[in-house]
Amino acid sequence: MAADNPIDPIHQFEISKIADIQLGGIDISFTNSSLFMVFALAATMALFVIGLSKKSIIPNRMQMLSELSYNFIANMLRDQVGDQGRAYFPFIFSLFMFIFFCNFIGLIPYTFTVTSHLIVTFAFAGLIFIAVTIIGFVKNGLGYLRIFYPSGIPIFLAPLIVPIEIISYLSKPISLSVRLCANMLAGHSILKIFAGFIVMLGFLGFAPLVFLVVLYALETLIAALQAYIFTILTCIYLNDALHPDH
Amino acid sequence: MKILLKAFLLTAPINFVYAAEGQKSAGLPQMDIATFPSQLFWLVITFSLLYLFMWKFVIPRLGATIEERRDKISNDINDADNLNTEATDILKKYDEQMASASQESNEIITNSKKAMLDHLETLKKENEEKVYSLISESQAKIKAQEEKSKIEIRNATLDTVKAIVSRYIENIPSDEEINKKLN
Repeated sequence: MAADNPIDPIHQFEISKIADIQLGGIDISFTNSSLFMVFALAATMALFVIGLSKKSIIPNRMQMLSELSYNFIANMLRDQVGDQGRAYFPFIFSLFMFIFFCNFIGLIPYTFTVTSHLIVTFAFAGLIFIAVTIIGFVKNGLGYLRIFYPSGIPIFLAPLIVPIEIISYLSKPISLSVRLCANMLAGHSILKIFAGFIVMLGFLGFAPLVFLVVLYALETLIAALQAYIFTILTCIYLNDALHPDH
Repeated sequence: MKILLKAFLLTAPINFVYAAEGQKSAGLPQMDIATFPSQLFWLVITFSLLYLFMWKFVIPRLGATIEERRDKISNDINDADNLNTEATDILKKYDEQMASASQESNEIITNSKKAMLDHLETLKKENEEKVYSLISESQAKIKAQEEKSKIEIRNATLDTVKAIVSRYIENIPSDEEINKKLN
């Protein structure tokens, strides 16, 4: 058991039951994945409850942190979407904080990365895709179909452009979800592989250890960056739905 | 390193339960469809809670705090601007007063200088006149004295001549004759 498991890079993504719950024949057990979702929720709540517990004109560190994240997402939404985006701010803000904390908690050894599972990221991406499509049709009516035929394209190119645009539109949720999931999966696997090398090489393990430290810094960057990318792409899709002419 | 290994081995059994149950640990855990309902269910629950928390608690409060701060800052800036204009006004007034005061003092200085010079001039003139009159008076006195002395000398000379002449000759010459000879 000790021989093969410490270096199995996939092992960390396995889902294990903590409490077995069945609902109408469907398995909705509370698993380690669920536990870390709760952790991400708790971390976000802790940040804002502490940050807002003593709100003052001159903020302390925690208040600063919560205001920084608020302004960061608010500015992103305003830059990408404009004032019409205000209504979607709670969702965008929650989305960023949730993915951010899932990614970061996953970096702690022996934890589980919720966002490394495609079904989770695809649930977000699919929800965003469906919501954006509904918003597009509600705000623009059938005029939303213009996004498949950008203005200024000669009519004889339409048979070529329109299918390409439709395919690129439909592939948005796939690219959005796979990007986040694959980044988390690959990064954590490589971390685990190199951690395994340290154990295997014994005294010579310092070489992969140095590499691991550098890689860990990179993964920390990627954890924040992927949360940012996921959120900003959501803003861009939302902008396309609200202003299909651009 | 041994400690790390031990720590891993202690946590490892938990992770094996699911794989042993499902009997399909081969392949990526991500592709295990059996875990999807549970993941989606808990994702919906946790994310809905987070959304509610953000929507109802965080955003209104944070927004209010940030708004309040923005108001306070703009108010403070306005106050500072007002005070600044006030200070500038005061400075301007001060400068004006300084300018008028220095002009006044300059005037006073020139006036008093002029008055002093005038006074000096008149004093000088008066004294000069006095001196001149004194000089001419003394000159007249000297002249009169001179004349008088001349006459006295002549008379004395005349008398002396008469006395000398009368010693040697009997004929005493008249004054006119002596005068003619003296000249």
